[in-house]
Amino acid sequence: MSCGSGDSSCEKPRRRAALVLLGLMALIFIALSVFSFLPSRGQATPDTVSFGPYQANDGKRVFQAYNCMGCHTMVGNGAYLGPDLTEVYKHAGPAWLAAFLPSAGGWPTEAAVRAQLLDPNQHAGTGTDTIDAYLQKYPGAAARIQRRGGGTTLMPNLPLSKDEIGQLIAYLKYTSAMNTEGWPPKVEAGTLDRRLQLAHGTVALAQAAPAAAAKPAAASDPAALGAQLVKDYGCVACHASDDKRLVGPGWGGLYESSVSLADGSKVTADDAYLAESIRQPNAKIVAGYPPGVMPAYDTLLKTEEVNAIVAYLHTLEKQ
Amino acid sequence: MQTEYQTQRLSLRFFMLMLVLFVVQVIYGMILAAQQVDPTILQGWLNFNVARAEHLNLGIMWIVCGFIGAILFVAPLLAKRELVAPWLVKFLFYAVIGIVIWNFFTQFLAERGIAGWWLGQPWLQQGLEYLEAGRIAGLLILVGFLILAFVVLRTFPRVREWNEVHWGLGLGVGALAVVWVFGLFYVARLDLQEYFRWFVVHYWVEGVWEVIHISLIGYFLVLMFKADVKSVGFAVFWGIALVWLSGLIGNAHHYFWIGTPEFWQFWGSLFSALEPLPLVFCFWHIYLDAHTNKRPLENAPAFYFLLGSTVLELVGAGILGFVMTFALTNVWSHGTWVTAGHAHLALFGTFGMLGIAAAYYATPILRKVPQFDPRLGKLGFWLVFTGVLGMAFAFAIGGTVQVYVYRILGLDWFGGDVNRAMGTYKVMLPLFGLVLSTGAGVLAYDLFTLGRRMRPQAAVDAETTPHPATGWRRPLTGFEAGIWLLLMWLFGTIITLGLLSFNLPHVRVAGDPTLPYVLAGVGYPGLLLVTLLFVWRFIASLEARASAPAISPLLRVLPAQG
Repeated sequence: MSCGSGDSSCEKPRRRAALVLLGLMALIFIALSVFSFLPSRGQATPDTVSFGPYQANDGKRVFQAYNCMGCHTMVGNGAYLGPDLTEVYKHAGPAWLAAFLPSAGGWPTEAAVRAQLLDPNQHAGTGTDTIDAYLQKYPGAAARIQRRGGGTTLMPNLPLSKDEIGQLIAYLKYTSAMNTEGWPPKVEAGTLDRRLQLAHGTVALAQAAPAAAAKPAAASDPAALGAQLVKDYGCVACHASDDKRLVGPGWGGLYESSVSLADGSKVTADDAYLAESIRQPNAKIVAGYPPGVMPAYDTLLKTEEVNAIVAYLHTLEKQ
Repeated sequence: MQTEYQTQRLSLRFFMLMLVLFVVQVIYGMILAAQQVDPTILQGWLNFNVARAEHLNLGIMWIVCGFIGAILFVAPLLAKRELVAPWLVKFLFYAVIGIVIWNFFTQFLAERGIAGWWLGQPWLQQGLEYLEAGRIAGLLILVGFLILAFVVLRTFPRVREWNEVHWGLGLGVGALAVVWVFGLFYVARLDLQEYFRWFVVHYWVEGVWEVIHISLIGYFLVLMFKADVKSVGFAVFWGIALVWLSGLIGNAHHYFWIGTPEFWQFWGSLFSALEPLPLVFCFWHIYLDAHTNKRPLENAPAFYFLLGSTVLELVGAGILGFVMTFALTNVWSHGTWVTAGHAHLALFGTFGMLGIAAAYYATPILRKVPQFDPRLGKLGFWLVFTGVLGMAFAFAIGGTVQVYVYRILGLDWFGGDVNRAMGTYKVMLPLFGLVLSTGAGVLAYDLFTLGRRMRPQAAVDAETTPHPATGWRRPLTGFEAGIWLLLMWLFGTIITLGLLSFNLPHVRVAGDPTLPYVLAGVGYPGLLLVTLLFVWRFIASLEARASAPAISPLLRVLPAQG
């Protein structure tokens, strides 16, 4: 080259050329950006996605209000403490999410998901009404229930209301529908058993399965049967056996105690009240608790099962 | 050197505030590291997302305080007159404290799901990574940036008299405010929201902060080594030009998977692969400019941190950014701990260390103790430097395991599968974090009390006895610096190949992680060790150079510019 790097007569045109190039790049960037958001791309947008009466638009606000991105990633951006949420709707489905979100501190059991399927919104959203068809359609829910169901999670319980839960599900439905150009990459390493074998050297799933399948013979003692039922139905994800508040009221010392209701009245927690609170939990809401979070177990539980749970509640002392 | 302008003294309070925020941020970091090991720690009181929001926001705030301090210190020197409106600067100081305290409390509202929606905007907190502050704090921060821009631009001489450093800082403080505006709107579409969120995050860091960083490093080299302003100006202009030429479209590397079209993968992979160029360029210039004279190092800690800043900029931002900038490697690293290794080295290393360097340069001058005891500062440097390198190692290797278990094997149960596999590295994080925290404490103590403590005379004598410039301390030639640089890139290439190897059917389908694990196991420790050794070598040569023989001019690879 004829001019040295320190030669000012060459330096000036070079600098001008760099600035022109920069302007050109800005034009390219703006053009690419415009093309990215044209409607012809067919990208999913939140205003077209809903779940029952709930809008994805509102769900996004809930997602931000709880700073979900502070622990999870969404389209891969956020924190790395918990799993990515972009496709969780696609994998686990709305009923599993509805069972999980109110009591995020515990993993939903199969019965807890079954209770959610009674919701007409779930019918409309999933197109299935039996748990078997649901688990067939959302294998992620089946794997979650089988391996983790009834256990505790690492996530705190959040004070989500019924509406916020529905809105979040709508938002997660929207993100699942987005075209993210193939991210997260498809898993191609074979069956879950094989992948667990590769990760841990043992088949954790095969070991867990018989324990879940081997249902204990129906206990003759109603209280013992009740204790088994509250575990199977995942009730303990929200209700503590002492008098502490988890998501719903604690059970310890509840029987025969005086309960203040949201409408200002007081009732005694007798057998009839407890049975009603299981069958139609929204009939009487305890003061300080949000309505609509607990599903109705009216059609899920037989009369003797409700009675067994009530009998179990009799045995729990205040601690 | 003495204080030439009275208003330079205003920078001192920002440096002290920077140190307080730094220490608090590090405490939050330790809580987060403990929660990574056991997420139930403090659950219900200080949830991970709130602690992380504070950790990120304080990180940004103390780096900005460091910038403000440094800019206020050099602006009168560049303008050759006092700062205009010093009362505005004092107001800015209390405003920053107020915003930090306000944001501290509002972030807790995320635990109750309260964002403060009004007029469609979240006024109290908005739950977006890096931009967690609500609209109230966001608007106040914008006012703060406008105050800074006003003070700096009014203090500077007329535009016709600007040199490259004026241009760099002038554009920097102006763009700081302009880019921030893109984060002040609620966007309903997730893809569009992420598009604009990266406008703030990427263009701040790689557009604006980088420009301020290059200008400040350049000017501090002028102040410390009496480097030629013209030569530094050449480096500043082309540094900034290369940053913008590569970084403008380079932002596309954030648009691979957020729902924007596939063509971004081409543009992002191509242009952001060029982003290390300005960083190599600056790395090389700090070598040249630091070697323009042969006098003993006057202010060792300030130079240590200046060097650390430039080297970690190259290694953390440049090389560790490069390895994950291609769509084929980013598809694996995206959303994992691998990116956190890059982020800690790049953000703390490049910008944090610059702020500390500026504080070490300015504080002795402003407190009139030019002969201060540099030993605590040196100790602090080595603690934070090794601490952050170790943390990057834990993040990077833990992240590689995470990619395998989470993405290749598709196991998404963090409690049962992912954390179990990452366990060792999750424990390593708070251990190295403790080293960094100790260093942060030492630095804060040293700078708070600098000039207010008695200094033992023996230490003075020990400091002034130069070591012989032989062996490890022999003068660093351009050729040798080039070899170090090549080694860094060699290990960077190995890391890139490691991430790339996740695409092989042997790994992805057959599920054998050996190749990516071996390449990461060689690449990351190699890169971080070379970085540590190079800084050690550079400093050893510089400290001994008073007694060094002249370097043969033939060994200089590039002539000094100008």
